Amino acid sequence: MNKANKKELGVGIFFALLSIFYIVQSRNVSTFTPFGNRGLDSQSIPAMIGWLSIALSAILIVTTILKDRKEKKGTGGQNEQICDPDQVACIDPPKGAKLQGILQVVPLKLMLSLLFLFFYFLFYQRIGFILSSIFYLLSQSFLLTEKGKRKKWALFIILFSIGVSVLIYFIFTRYFTLFLPRGILG
Amino acid sequence: MLGMLLEGFGAVFTDPLSILMIIVGTSVGIVFGALPGLTTVAGLSMFLPITYAMSSGTGLSMLTAIYIGGMSGGLVSAILLNIPGTPSSIATCFDGSPMAKNGQAGRALGLAVFASLIGTAISLLFMVVLSPTLANLTIKFGPWEYFSVTVFALTLISSLTGKSIVKGLLSALFGMMFATVGLSPIDSAKRFTFGSLQLTSGFNLLAVLVGLYAISEVLSTAGSEQEKAQVREYKMRGLGFTLKDLKGQGINFVRSSLIGLGIGILPGIGGSTSNIIAYSVAKTSSKHPEKFGTGIPDGIIASEASNNASIGGAMIPLLTLGIPGDGATAILLGGFMLHGMQPGPLLFQSNGATVYQIFASMILSMIVMALVMYLGMRAIVKVLKVPANILLPLIVVLCAIGAYALNNRVFDMWGLILFGIIGLAMSKAGVPAPPFILGFILESAFETNLRRGLEYSNGNFQEVFTRPISAMFLVLAIVSLAATLYKQYKPKKATSEE
Repeated sequence: MNKANKKELGVGIFFALLSIFYIVQSRNVSTFTPFGNRGLDSQSIPAMIGWLSIALSAILIVTTILKDRKEKKGTGGQNEQICDPDQVACIDPPKGAKLQGILQVVPLKLMLSLLFLFFYFLFYQRIGFILSSIFYLLSQSFLLTEKGKRKKWALFIILFSIGVSVLIYFIFTRYFTLFLPRGILG
Repeated sequence: MLGMLLEGFGAVFTDPLSILMIIVGTSVGIVFGALPGLTTVAGLSMFLPITYAMSSGTGLSMLTAIYIGGMSGGLVSAILLNIPGTPSSIATCFDGSPMAKNGQAGRALGLAVFASLIGTAISLLFMVVLSPTLANLTIKFGPWEYFSVTVFALTLISSLTGKSIVKGLLSALFGMMFATVGLSPIDSAKRFTFGSLQLTSGFNLLAVLVGLYAISEVLSTAGSEQEKAQVREYKMRGLGFTLKDLKGQGINFVRSSLIGLGIGILPGIGGSTSNIIAYSVAKTSSKHPEKFGTGIPDGIIASEASNNASIGGAMIPLLTLGIPGDGATAILLGGFMLHGMQPGPLLFQSNGATVYQIFASMILSMIVMALVMYLGMRAIVKVLKVPANILLPLIVVLCAIGAYALNNRVFDMWGLILFGIIGLAMSKAGVPAPPFILGFILESAFETNLRRGLEYSNGNFQEVFTRPISAMFLVLAIVSLAATLYKQYKPKKATSEE
């Protein structure tokens, strides 16, 4: 199976599993029909969405498998290479190949960005808007700056992170009468 | 009516503060609309208390100016950043961003501003002239009519699905699944809350939109090793486009504006839905639907004309019935009440002069919006033209403020991460995001009206076919679905015959 078909199959399986989970959970929804059931209750629409989703996932899975078979038949083995097992040599994958493969799918910068975002939201209320924003802006800006240019940008990023966080806080709380958490500075 | 409108213009032009507030309000609205994470609704709610110190006419003029500016400002970031500044400019990304990518950002911006101007002008004309008649029609809508309109809107998803209709529909159902989290309509039963009190109120639309579009865009840029700012270069001479670009677009302008106007009138469905529907209708009825998404004027015009046209549409039920058409008009309703006015059928009698002053100020705001956007585009773009390593974290901070300000709780911010990851995964898996949004928005209206209709008719579903308006929308839904299926089947048949 080629990469594109594998992806389609993965999408189909994901949605099928999600739909099953959704249908199972929809059975736990309580229903109220004090005047008799004259139509639909609170379970009906989720059940309908779940079953429709299962049907569409099944269609996606089946059509992907059929498409793959058709493609295999279409090539008629033309691309198949005949190898002599005695001539084939086994080569070990280069060091760090596995890690490289993972990083290609989920780059390190993406993972770190998610982590920074997670900590930013986690401490938003606890340490307050100004401090959490300063830390977030500092870390995320440094991460996104090219390695070689970080020294050049350092002072600007530090001043920018502090200045913008304080400025935003005062503009939004003083002039836009918006509530932002003060945290430990309050 | 004309006399009253002239009196309204007189009231605006004899009050310098009123003119100043219209200019300030429009500019503020444009900036709020242009900055992802800060929406028109956020801008309106932030400026609502400030208007308290002004007279009712001036204060409400400023709020409506923010509304018009905010609805238009979203196009800037949609075209130059590929992030819709407001939910109303989602469809502007589809063709605006590719056009900018092709080195024609100035043309895209010029066309979008012009389409916004035309859309606003058409809708304001309808608002001033036909509001009582149109309001009389929607007042007759019952649950079956709303249900049919929702079904019609849902069938339009099929034309937004991209290459795979199945994946598009799965995306829509995925969106509907998230919309069912929280309290169910009619009987308020807890659904999929897993014992969490926070989940009882469900996921907020703003968190879903910002997460799906802004956060996923930031994460994807962070992961793609792109150093430079994502704001695309633009050159705009004159209006940015030529008359050739407008050739054959007359029907598109009028149709999209009417779609925006019609959807704006229907309570609960506003510009965030109308732009997607107008885009898909333009695509379905186009002679070259395959070109949509590659950067053609048709898509930009459809989206921008319709979202701005929903302004006048949403104002009609607000002014004549006291029913807000969308989130922004809900804040405006608060504005009216703050200034001691009760929108509804009696508003024209009790506060006629103020209402016509608002009409006049909205017409003026429309002109100011076009002038600010054409002449001040350089300044607006400068706001967005900050290096990526500075701009992206700043966008996240602003998005976080927008999400937090919804209910003053961190829970909505977690929604940003959740939908950011979902958006990123969907884009990697080739699952289109627009059907997800439409499914999320329409689920509530679909379920509420279907259940309410069945309750009213004692479980008899056939009643939906006996009501002329609902039957008409159902027929339109069938025609729309059949047209999409036919269009998808036709090229396949042609290729197989070859």
